[in-house]
Amino acid sequence: MRLPPDARRRFELGLRAAALVLLAWMIARSAAPRDSATVHERTDSRALNAALAAWTLAPEPTSVHVTAAFAPAAREREWLRALSHAGVHVSWSGDSIPATAIEVAARSDPAGGVRAYVSAPAGTRATLSDAVGLIDTLSIAAGANALSLPMNAGALDLLAHEQHARALAPDSLLSRQIVVLGRAGWEGKFAMAALEERGWKVSSRLRVGPNVFVSQGTPLALDTAHTAVVVAIDSSAAQYANAIASFERSGGGVVLAGDAPLAAALRTLAPGRSGPRVAAASLSFASNAPRRALGFFPVLALSNDAVPLEGRDGHIIAAARRLGAGRVVQLGYDETWRWRLAGTGDAPAAHRDFWSSVIAAAAYRATAPVASAAPNADAAPLASLYADLGAPSAPSAVAMHITAGLRWWMFAALALLLLAEWTSRRLRGAR
Amino acid sequence: MTTFTFATAQYDSGDWDSAPLVPPNIIDTIARYTEIEVTPTGAIVPLASPDLLRYPLVYLTGHLPVRFSDAERRQLREYLDRGGMLFVDDHNHDVDGVFHRTATEEITRTIAEPKLLPNNHSLYSAFFKFPDGPPTTSHELNGWGDNLVHKNLFAVMREGRISVLYSSKDYSSEWGYHPDTKRFQSVDNTKFAVNIVVYALTA
Repeated sequence: MRLPPDARRRFELGLRAAALVLLAWMIARSAAPRDSATVHERTDSRALNAALAAWTLAPEPTSVHVTAAFAPAAREREWLRALSHAGVHVSWSGDSIPATAIEVAARSDPAGGVRAYVSAPAGTRATLSDAVGLIDTLSIAAGANALSLPMNAGALDLLAHEQHARALAPDSLLSRQIVVLGRAGWEGKFAMAALEERGWKVSSRLRVGPNVFVSQGTPLALDTAHTAVVVAIDSSAAQYANAIASFERSGGGVVLAGDAPLAAALRTLAPGRSGPRVAAASLSFASNAPRRALGFFPVLALSNDAVPLEGRDGHIIAAARRLGAGRVVQLGYDETWRWRLAGTGDAPAAHRDFWSSVIAAAAYRATAPVASAAPNADAAPLASLYADLGAPSAPSAVAMHITAGLRWWMFAALALLLLAEWTSRRLRGAR
Repeated sequence: MTTFTFATAQYDSGDWDSAPLVPPNIIDTIARYTEIEVTPTGAIVPLASPDLLRYPLVYLTGHLPVRFSDAERRQLREYLDRGGMLFVDDHNHDVDGVFHRTATEEITRTIAEPKLLPNNHSLYSAFFKFPDGPPTTSHELNGWGDNLVHKNLFAVMREGRISVLYSSKDYSSEWGYHPDTKRFQSVDNTKFAVNIVVYALTA
């Protein structure tokens, strides 16, 4: 059927108009933010690393999704975060990523070393290593698992279920003296001996008579430049209460031992009120619970900002609180020297450890920054993944139906329209 | 607060109880000059007994030869290892006397040989000042015994502290009188005992 010439011209005009509209729409689309491909990757970190490089090259995708078997490394998370900031929708999923974490703190101990707190799913077998090699294999219990390490080289690395968590060696602690104040007596003497044997520098000022004191070192230098902890071994230390309170508020540590919190001047610092002395629960020092053979002043009416550190038979024996910039430990025991002398074979070492841990709980920690830091620290990869990329989610539904084929059919339709218009013109003899 | 109890060591050989008036006299002196809470009566503790570990300062004296049993030696070694302090005084003040020879042998076998303690040691300034070292006893001056004035005491040191203090000066005779007699003396000759106790409690 031959169309009349007018109708044919209108048909060709229609085809030309349709081609122009389609061309205009394509131009408008190209100027608008681009649709792009959705990229699905399963980490293994090697694949993610390659994918990140591809995603970063033009054309950028609109949406990327990472299905992770374990948390991406810190560098990869940073990269994903950069893509997210550049306008790419970044999502991730991964139910089986183990929540491993490690924290390392310098021990307040002249012997040095670190205390590592590690966490992983309960029941996991994990390994802990440093730059030199494997340190220990652990069976992880629920919550934080603490380990004391006398020394370490470089960053500590926890590996559980193929998930690494790394923490840097902490700043080294600067040594400060311990000051012991109170009356001359066996408790003060043996507490000082235990601390000195452990490597602490100890100064003391012990009262032996009216205005008669036996001093060692520089006990009255109560400032954080010289002193880490003041130990009030008994209530007679109350005569230094103002200096002790000032030292504590400026960041120093204070240990109120025995009946020291009974003195009115020291009571305001204490985490709780000191109650009437409780007699020892046992006559002999058992190796598994030696302090049951010690009497103590219980901590009563614990203040709201205090935490109990040790208890027995419903009594709190030791408690700590933060007050101002410093910390106060209230220690109910007043005869730990008996444990050292009359305890089982390891009693002297255990007594040293005990007093060192009491000091560590209160000590002012002056630190010197470490000279260099390992760049690959990643203490809690899963937590960092949440922090960097938010909660896990499914791949974006919008992104799913945008396909790369869109431009191809648009081009084909345009070519078809122009070809039909050209053919029509040529068949009727027009140019 | 633990009160201070003056303890005397009882051992199987020799005459451990040769100076029974020394403990009450020292207790009287401690109460007289210091604020240290002191038990009114002393204690006697067998050297081989675990009770030794209840008294961080123990006094040992005698005239006769001293030979520790294995149990005494073992218990004394543990006591000193844990920080106890032993004050030994030769009641003979005889440099070649039997107590001196045997007691120093036993101390050497148990822990280490006592070495000369310098007269500027903090023991001599722990409470009263003794710039010339250990105070001389009347028994050193009256020609009795070895007829010598011993210029120094001896000690076995541990971790910078005196672990065993050994005296040939016969303080056991010098301090062996009833405390009430003290008022008749122009100079109290027991003051050095305060230094020993204060040193033990503070160093």
